[in-house]
Amino acid sequence: MEIHTALSKQPAVLLACSTLSTDTNMTGTWRFVRPFHDEKTAPCGAACPAGEDIARIQMLTGRGAFRDAVETILLENPFPATCGRVCFQFCEGACNRASFDDPVGIRYVERFLGDMALAEGWARVPLKEPETPRKAAVIGAGPAGLSAAYFLGLLGWSCEVFEAAREPGGLMRWGIPAYRLSKDVLQREVARILRLGIVIKYGRTVRPQDLARIREEYDAVFVGCGLSRSIRLQIPGEDLALEGLDFLGRIRRGEVDAVSGTAAVIGGGNTAMDVARSLVRLGAEPIIVYRRRREDMPAFEHEIIMALEEGVRLMELVSPLKANRDGEDIILTLQEMRPAGVGPDGRARVAPDGERRQSLRVRSLFTALGSSAAPEWAPPAEQSQQLLRLGHITIRNGPAPLVFGGDLTNETQSVTDAVASGKMAALALDTCLEEGWERIIQSLGRARVGPGPALSMESYLGGARADRNRTVVSFEQLNMDYFQPLQRILPTIQSPEERRAGFSEIEGVYKKEEARAEATRCFNCGICNECDNCRIFCPEVAVEAGSGRRILLDYCKGCGICVVECPRNALSLEEEAS
Amino acid sequence: MRPLQVPEEEYLRRGHVGCAGCGAVIAMRFALKALGPDTVVVIPACCWGVIAGAYPQSSLDVPILHAAFATAGATASGVRAALDMRGEPDTTVMAWAGDGGTFDIGLQSLSGAVERDEDILYVCYDNEAYMNTGVQRSSSTPYGTRTTTTPREGWKRTRKKNIMETLAAHRIAYAATASIAYPEDMIRKFRKARDLKGHARFLHVFASCPTGWGVPSELTVKLARLAVRTNVFPLYEVENGVSYTLNTEGDLPVRAYLSPQGRFRHLSPEDIQDIQRMVDEDWRLLRAKAQGPPQRARLMA
Amino acid sequence: MKQVLEGSHAVSEAVRLARVQVVSAYPITPQTHIVEAISEFCSDGTMDARFICVESEHSAMAAVIGASNAGVRAFTATSSHGLALMHELLHWASGARLPIVMAEVNRALAPGWNIWTDQTDSLAQRDTGWIQLYCEDGQEVLDTTLEAFRLAEAVNLPVMVVLDAFFLSHTFEPVDVPDQDTVDRFLPPFDPRFRLDTKNPCAFGPITGPDRYMEIRRDIQAAMDRAPEVLAAVEQEFFSLFGRRYGAVDAFLCDDAEVILVVSGTAAATCRQAVGDLRKTGERVGMLKIRLFRPFPATEIRAILPKAPKVAVVDRNVSFGAGGIFAQEVKAALALHKGNTAVYSYIAGLGGRDITTATFQEIYLTTKDTPTPPAESVWVGLAQEERA
Repeated sequence: MEIHTALSKQPAVLLACSTLSTDTNMTGTWRFVRPFHDEKTAPCGAACPAGEDIARIQMLTGRGAFRDAVETILLENPFPATCGRVCFQFCEGACNRASFDDPVGIRYVERFLGDMALAEGWARVPLKEPETPRKAAVIGAGPAGLSAAYFLGLLGWSCEVFEAAREPGGLMRWGIPAYRLSKDVLQREVARILRLGIVIKYGRTVRPQDLARIREEYDAVFVGCGLSRSIRLQIPGEDLALEGLDFLGRIRRGEVDAVSGTAAVIGGGNTAMDVARSLVRLGAEPIIVYRRRREDMPAFEHEIIMALEEGVRLMELVSPLKANRDGEDIILTLQEMRPAGVGPDGRARVAPDGERRQSLRVRSLFTALGSSAAPEWAPPAEQSQQLLRLGHITIRNGPAPLVFGGDLTNETQSVTDAVASGKMAALALDTCLEEGWERIIQSLGRARVGPGPALSMESYLGGARADRNRTVVSFEQLNMDYFQPLQRILPTIQSPEERRAGFSEIEGVYKKEEARAEATRCFNCGICNECDNCRIFCPEVAVEAGSGRRILLDYCKGCGICVVECPRNALSLEEEAS
Repeated sequence: MRPLQVPEEEYLRRGHVGCAGCGAVIAMRFALKALGPDTVVVIPACCWGVIAGAYPQSSLDVPILHAAFATAGATASGVRAALDMRGEPDTTVMAWAGDGGTFDIGLQSLSGAVERDEDILYVCYDNEAYMNTGVQRSSSTPYGTRTTTTPREGWKRTRKKNIMETLAAHRIAYAATASIAYPEDMIRKFRKARDLKGHARFLHVFASCPTGWGVPSELTVKLARLAVRTNVFPLYEVENGVSYTLNTEGDLPVRAYLSPQGRFRHLSPEDIQDIQRMVDEDWRLLRAKAQGPPQRARLMA
Repeated sequence: MKQVLEGSHAVSEAVRLARVQVVSAYPITPQTHIVEAISEFCSDGTMDARFICVESEHSAMAAVIGASNAGVRAFTATSSHGLALMHELLHWASGARLPIVMAEVNRALAPGWNIWTDQTDSLAQRDTGWIQLYCEDGQEVLDTTLEAFRLAEAVNLPVMVVLDAFFLSHTFEPVDVPDQDTVDRFLPPFDPRFRLDTKNPCAFGPITGPDRYMEIRRDIQAAMDRAPEVLAAVEQEFFSLFGRRYGAVDAFLCDDAEVILVVSGTAAATCRQAVGDLRKTGERVGMLKIRLFRPFPATEIRAILPKAPKVAVVDRNVSFGAGGIFAQEVKAALALHKGNTAVYSYIAGLGGRDITTATFQEIYLTTKDTPTPPAESVWVGLAQEERA
């Protein structure tokens, strides 16, 4: 059959048929608002005196990246195992999850990580090396002094610590009962600090008059000798009382085996609770005698509850007038008090309720009224261009700058505040020597976590956290569509009966899966945990994964879905500069 | 929070011309992630007819056949028959139509295809009006809506057609509602539909339209979620027209869904109550058909 | 092999022999016999094809568009209202350059309901981009349907094979049904130039803006322009295999004619008889059958009609306000010619009314006796009372 050319040769059809991609259209030109990944500050981290990056720590823990989580903590706090036991968890008070169900068990997670760090031997190494070697003297191996040395060590300084006692730890060693913090944990955390090359010189009491000489030998000095002077009752018969912190120290030195009979503990602070709860364990029947009401006590609520559970009794609105010996007993005469409004400091005031009195027969008497600085170690009080009072420290300029820190300057006396003080000192001293005295305020401002006062070593060193928006994310700014109620996971906790039996640690530690599960409850407020909602919902396929998430501005039309669908407010929209 | 699990594969190309925040684009993106590359898409006149790209461009990485407005069901049937004859029976043929092309002009063709039990997946992405032509009402437009053909006091006073019941009445093998706010649920349903070879399948996808609804573009997904959480658009599945499974149960009043939207802004509290009653009535009817309790909508995310 | 077949079944047989893979149709009298037979072929395995029983002609055309675009040989059939309902998709099929073949049985449009023959339905679709071929008898129907696939697939345009209601669709005639092997030689398996292919994803029929639309339309026109030449080639091949050919037009005794009657469809057979009868009485009359209406075979017409001083175009259709449609086209075709041929326009046989040899004799005589053609078409065979 003959094939006709008209049939065999037909021209190609010109067809409305697309063979090219639309991806040459730069739809980014449509945009008038621009989304950007804008990490913000989680309320927990801003509330943490040590400025820990808690949202990130939870994120890493939730993923099982325990070592990364530990290293994130160790950048900001040398004592996770300790703080994981004794911290008063300001973070949990600020936790946005509390507005939804229960706050994340941040302290429990920290304890888990702290213990794991010790078990695994994880530690930080110095993060930089100063051009000229720097050497600091630290007075006192308590939490503030050790923290100052640690952070200076991270910054490449060498440090020598002068400690009057034969063991490190200060109040952590002598003032916190073993049921809250075991000696072993403390020793191992201190040992990790010393791996930075820090040397502690034990049995070296430093007197104020030694400072001049020390300042000649070192580039800087940190004074963190704590509050050595107990506040007195100033009543007749006060000599019959044992001072609370001394008593706690004696217990920890093994000098007290048992106490019997009724014991009165005068005071309403955390030390009073520690004393009373220790007395329970030693066999006594303690009564806390407090001149205000329970709700006015400076002790943390958690401590009060634990004390009462353990059988500690409480007498409110009574103020000791005198103490008399009566054979083996002590008769305590008490003035009854009544509430009398609120003082200028916001605390409730009390006043004597006429002549109403009581007497209390006890076998032993303890005072726990707090401490003050010895006058010779009080931070300088003058106003001077060469003196900065920065909350957690007071720093005096000089050839070797001098810092007063720890309980000498802290408003709140806690281990975590001591860490904050040590960190502030280290950052201030490093800035002073590297950049100059006048740069300190600005430098600390850069290192601020959220609105402050907590500081971040990571931010100081210009890490990613330095770029984080300082706005603290509120509960209302989260997208709660992505969260469901989840029970807070509790570690094992001894029953009150078990607790009364001895000084072993009350709280257990999370198992790995518990730690991960609890950490996963965290909203990760303000930080990108790579949940990918921004990428998943983008109608333009304009969010790219990699390390972090990147918005392809060539295509992004600025719809803003990524910003709204981010569960944790880690993105923001801004107007496009036209 | 457990991160959403969505396949990485991408068949939507960048640079398409959908409005900023277009819910229908998100819907297509998820749909193709679920269906994969062995898919042919038939698109009648609708927004996607534009979004798919102007000659010589295409915004999808799978073949597209643009089709006349009323013909999605029939055109897809023809494609199906041809692929079967060519020995390509495994290729998924997806008709992808808007609510106008499904509820109105394309209903006859859809009905025919479903009655014939064509081996196609018919998807209606529902933005509740003729958006492509400038927001005219369709039979999918809900009670209370202002559109350009139900303007001002002439807002729509008839109810949205229940397309799912229409399909269930065909005894279609599988029909399900899906929402862009619940990508995992949506992808599961697309895969289930894909794998139910040999039968007609229908998916009714809620695709919010910021342009037509008078809402800021960033609320696209949020609104879709609110539609589910208020029972305005419940997520459920129907097998063989009789076996109902409810996937969600709302936990919010309709006001939460209506109030952010410009198209409902004129409604009085009494009007909103009327709508609440209608939604409650529909929900009761649906509940009565389903066995077993639904999950809370919030947990689906 | 010769068989006595209905015109409808001549179509069905051709579709079977063409190895069509997808058929979709909706029933309308008088098309039903075509698709009933094909349904039987499909169900008994005589044809390896899918028959999609759609719910409307609109969907029928949509389905074959989908099928053709997916790369198979596709066929449908309709008539009258069904064709009108398809109108939108007729444009779509040609715009998409799909080689669909459709049998269209000419039937009148309502109201009044009328199922009998009338060409207005198909001629109303003259601008949809379909090639149209009008058949005279059963053999031509079968042969034209086979040629239609060849032609459609060569130029990528759809082809409408048009046959008169009842006079052809329901009339039994002896038809030579060729054997499959020979048909296979004439019509190889469909090899689409483009198709939906998941391995090469393209988008067919997207938005096409003013900057590109015209060129694409021009290519349809170019394909139409090639169609007559391609049809000739197809017929050449067909002739070499089957010994039959029809041409775009068929001139009968035109060379010395004083009057040429221009006709189409089954009327041509009647006209052939009338011309023969008139010739016997010494009248110099000829006939031109127009088989290819789109593209309109103007060249062939200009080669034949100017031989006669008078041409009488007999239209079984009407374009209201303009008259007979073939006449319009013939006048337009001759407008380029510098001859003096006068074109007379007659409308006859609407809605199935008989066109007999007497009708043609009357038309011939009227034409012969009327010195100049009237401005309007002359309606032939009207009842007396309405004629006035």
